[in-house]
Amino acid sequence: MSQAVVSVNAGILLPVLAPAVGAAVVLVTDVAVQHLRRVHYLIALASLVVGAVATFAGLGMVAGAARRTLCLPAGGQCMYVADSVTTTLQLAALLAAALTLLLSWPDDKKQSPGSTAVIMSLVLTATAGATAVAGAHDVGSWLVALELATLPTVALVALRGARSAISGAIALLTAALVSFALLALSAALWFTATGSGFLTPAAALVGFHDPVRRPILVLAVVVLIAGIGFKLSLVPFHAWTPEAYDGAPLPIAAFLAGVSKIAAAAALLVVIQAVAPLGEPPLAAMAIVAAVSMTLGNIMALRQDGVVRLLAWSTVAQAGWVVLPLAAVSSAAVHASGAYLLAYVLATLLAFAVVAALVQIRGAARARDLTEYRGLLSAHPVLASALGLALLSLAGLPPGVLGLVAKVAALRPVVTSELWVLAIVAAANAVLGVAVYLRWLLKVISSPEASEQASPPAVPDGAAPVAARAIRAHPATLVAVGLTAVALVLTSLSPQMLLGMLGR
Amino acid sequence: MILLLALVIPAVTGTALILSGRAFRPSAEGNANTLSLVASVATAGFVTAAVINRPVLDQPWLPSLGVRMHFAVDGISAPLLILTAALSIAVVLNARSRPPHGGSSSTFYGCLQLVELGALATFLARDAVIFYLSFEIVLIPMWVLISRYGDSHDLAARADASGRFVLYTVLGSTLMLIGILALVQASGTANLDALAAAHGTGLARHMQIIIAALLLVGMGIKIPVFPLHTWLPPAHTIAPTAGSVMLAAVLLKMGTYGVVRLVIAPLPIGFGALAPAFAVVGVVGIVWGGLACLVENDLKRLIAYSSVAHMGFVVLGLSSGTTAGLQAALFANIAHGVVSALLFFLVGGLKERWGSADLATARAALREVSPRLGLALVVGFAASLGLPGLVGFWGEFLAMYSAWNPAPDRPQTLMRVLVVVAVLGAGVAAAYSLRVLRLIWSGDRTTPAHEDARGGEWSVLAALVCAVLVLGVAPGLVLNSTSKGVAAITMEVSR
Repeated sequence: MSQAVVSVNAGILLPVLAPAVGAAVVLVTDVAVQHLRRVHYLIALASLVVGAVATFAGLGMVAGAARRTLCLPAGGQCMYVADSVTTTLQLAALLAAALTLLLSWPDDKKQSPGSTAVIMSLVLTATAGATAVAGAHDVGSWLVALELATLPTVALVALRGARSAISGAIALLTAALVSFALLALSAALWFTATGSGFLTPAAALVGFHDPVRRPILVLAVVVLIAGIGFKLSLVPFHAWTPEAYDGAPLPIAAFLAGVSKIAAAAALLVVIQAVAPLGEPPLAAMAIVAAVSMTLGNIMALRQDGVVRLLAWSTVAQAGWVVLPLAAVSSAAVHASGAYLLAYVLATLLAFAVVAALVQIRGAARARDLTEYRGLLSAHPVLASALGLALLSLAGLPPGVLGLVAKVAALRPVVTSELWVLAIVAAANAVLGVAVYLRWLLKVISSPEASEQASPPAVPDGAAPVAARAIRAHPATLVAVGLTAVALVLTSLSPQMLLGMLGR
Repeated sequence: MILLLALVIPAVTGTALILSGRAFRPSAEGNANTLSLVASVATAGFVTAAVINRPVLDQPWLPSLGVRMHFAVDGISAPLLILTAALSIAVVLNARSRPPHGGSSSTFYGCLQLVELGALATFLARDAVIFYLSFEIVLIPMWVLISRYGDSHDLAARADASGRFVLYTVLGSTLMLIGILALVQASGTANLDALAAAHGTGLARHMQIIIAALLLVGMGIKIPVFPLHTWLPPAHTIAPTAGSVMLAAVLLKMGTYGVVRLVIAPLPIGFGALAPAFAVVGVVGIVWGGLACLVENDLKRLIAYSSVAHMGFVVLGLSSGTTAGLQAALFANIAHGVVSALLFFLVGGLKERWGSADLATARAALREVSPRLGLALVVGFAASLGLPGLVGFWGEFLAMYSAWNPAPDRPQTLMRVLVVVAVLGAGVAAAYSLRVLRLIWSGDRTTPAHEDARGGEWSVLAALVCAVLVLGVAPGLVLNSTSKGVAAITMEVSR
C-alpha cells in the first residue's frame, strides 16, 4: 500500500488549529495594518476561545473513549488521540493562555507597537504546541509539538530586554536545549527499542518482551523522564526555574507556570500511558523525582523573600505533587495527576493574577517583595482574599477545598500501591507546603501596625487606614483575577466540576 | 434539611463576616457579635433538632473519588454535637463582655463560626474523606484566631505558637488522610457505618496494624498524646479566650472521636495490637502533664498541661477494649470539654484583668474580691481533680476501673500497672489543683482589686458550673446516649 494519505478531521483538531491559525492571522494583520495593538489581542483571545469551545465535545467521556484523527489508512494507528484527560488539559492550556493575555492587556504606551504582534503570535504558537503535544501519539509530532510549546517562551522571557530578563532567558534556553537533546535521544532509543514511531502500549510491549531490546526501552523511558523533568522543573532539572520566572515579565511568568507546565505534564502523560503496561520498573524513577522535587522545592520556597521566586520554587514543589501519583501504575494515577495539575494551575494563576494587579497598583518593586504584603488584607481586602484563597488552595487546606481534594486524589494511587515511604514523604511535604504558603498568608492577614507596636489596645481599629493610592489596577487584570477566583470558588464548592471533565 | 441548615448557617455567616471586614466599623462591633450570636443560637437549635430527629443527609459529592456528602447523627456523636453548639454560643456570649483585641471583630466572629462549622461537620460526617475534609476546615480559622487575636506581648512567640499549631496538626491530619485512604482502599467503602459494621473482616492483620498506626499517630497529634503534645501548651497560652475554649473543649475531642470511629470500630485487630502502646503513652501523658502542672507558673499553660493529663485518661479508657472503657472515654471526653471550657473562660478573663497569667505575682485573692469568679474556679478545679459528684469523676474513675479489667486480648498485668500509675497521676492532679486554689483563690489580699464577672461572662460561667454539677450528679444523660453505639462497637471487639 503506497497510499500515504491520513484521515483528517479538522473539528477534532480545532483546539490545536485555532491558536495556530490565530498566530498566522495576527502576523498577517500586522503586515497589512501596522501599529495595531488591541486588535492583535482581540484576535488572539478570539482564537483561544474558539479552541476552548472546540474542546467541550471531548470532556467527561467514559474511560477508554477518545477522539482520534490523523489515522493511517492501514492498521488504524492514529497520530492524534484525545481522551478526556487530554482534552481537559487542552482546555486548561487555552484558558490559561487567555488569562495570560488578560494580564498583559495593553493600557499605555510602554510597549513598542511592533512587538505586540510578535508577543501575541509567540503566545499563540506556544499554546498550539501545548495543545498539540497533549494529543500527539507519534514520536515525531510529539517531539516537535513539545519544542513548539517551549521555544517561543524563551523569546517571550527575553523580549523585556532587561538584564535579568536576558539571564532568565538564557537559563531557559539552556534548559530547553539540553532537554531537547535528551528528548531527541530518547525518541531515537524508543524507535530502536520498539521499531515503532507510535507512543502506544502495543509498541512498548513489543520492545519489552524482547530481552535484547528491553534495556534500550527502559533507557529510553528514563532519558525521556529526564528530558521532561527539565520542562516540568523537576529536581534535579529545575535550576532554570527561579531565574526565568524572576526575569520574565509577570504575565509571562504566569504563562510559564501555567501553559508551559500543562504542556510538559501533558507530554509526560502521553508517554506514561504508553509505558503503563510495563509495570513498575521504569516508573520507580518517578517516585524518587517526585519526593526530591517536593522537598527541595518547598525548602527553597520557604527561604525566598521575593514573591515571584517563591512562586517559582513552589512550582518545583507542586510539579513533584503532579508526578507523585505516577509512581503508581494505574489509570487512576493519570487521572489523579491531571486533577492535581488543574488545581495547581488554577491556584497558581490566581496568585499570579493578584500579584500582577498589585504590580499595577503599587509598582513592581513593592509587589514583588514579600515583606510588603504585610497588612494587605486591610489595604486591599478583595485582592487579599483572592490571594488567600489561592495560597490555601496551593497548601491544600479549606477553604481551598480544590487543593485539598487534589491532594487526596494525588495521594490515593500512592496509598493504593502501598508505597508507604513515598506517602510519608508526601505527608511531610504537605506540612512544608503549608509552612511556605502560610508564611506569605501570615503577612497578608497581619495588621499593618503590628510590626512596630506591640500593644494592640493602643491602636484603635481602623483609626489610621493608609490612604489608598488613587492608582487602580487595569480592568482586564481585575477581570482575570475575578474569573480565576470565581472558578476556584466554584470548583472548591463542587470539585466534581473539574474532576468530571477528566472522565468518568 | 435540618442537617444542611445546621452546617450552612455557620458556613454562610462565617464567610460573610470575614468578607465583610470593612462593613462593621469599630462603632458597630456589637452588630457582628449580635449576628454571630443569632447564627450560633439558630445553629444550636438545628443541631438539637437533629439530635432528636436523627435525620440523614446522603448526596453524591465527588463521584470520581467515590466521596459522598453523608451526614448523620448517632448516640456517640450527639453529646459532642450539643457540646460544640452550646460552647459556640458561650464563646460569642463571653466575647460580649470581653471583646477581642488585635483586629476587626467581624473576622474574629467569622473565624469562630467556621471553627464551629468544621467541628460540627466532623462529628456529623459519615464518609471517611468528608471526615478528613471537615477535620481540616477548623485549621485555618483557628490559626487566624491565634496568630491575629492571640496574646500580643511577644510577637515571635505568637507566630511560633500559631505556626506550631498549624504545622503539627497538618502533619497529623495528612498522616490520618493516608490512613483513611488505605482503609477505604482496603475495605472498599468510605462509609463509616459500613466500615464499623464490617469490623475489619477481610483485612489482613499486618494491614490493619499499618493503617491503625498511621491513624493513631495522626490523631494522636490532635488529641494530643504524650510525645506529640508539644504544640498544645504554647497554642493555649497564646490563643484568645474563645480560641482556647474551642481548642480544648471541641478540637481535641475530634481526635478521640476519630479514634473511636476510624480505628477502634473498623480495625479491631490492628487497634488491639497497638492498644498497649497507646495506653502507655496515655498514662505517661497523665503523669507528665500532672508533674508539669505542679511547677508551671503560667496559669493558661498549666491548664493546657492538665488537658494533656485528662486526655490521657480518655486514651486509657479507649485502650481498655471494653464497653465500660469506651463509655468512660466518651464521657471523659465530654467532661473535659465542659471543665476545660469553664477553666479557660475563667483564666482568659483573669488574664485580661491581671494583664498576665503569671502565678508567681501576688494577686488579690479571688474569694475576697470576686466571689463569682472564685466560685467558678473552685468548682472548675474540683471537677478537674476528679471529685466525686462532679463531672470529672465519672470518666476518669470508669476509665481506670475498665482498664483494671481489660478485654481478654489486652495484657492484663501491663494494664493494671498502668492503672496504678494513673492513680498516682490523679493524686498529682489533686495536688496541682489545690496549689492553684491556694495561690489565687484563698488568702486575704484585696489589692489590686478587679471587677467580678458580670453580664455575658457570668452567665457563661454560671451555665458551665451548672453543667459540671448536673452531669456530675446525672452522668446517665451522656452515658445513655452513647451506650448503644458503644455496645455495637465493643460487642464485636470482644468477640
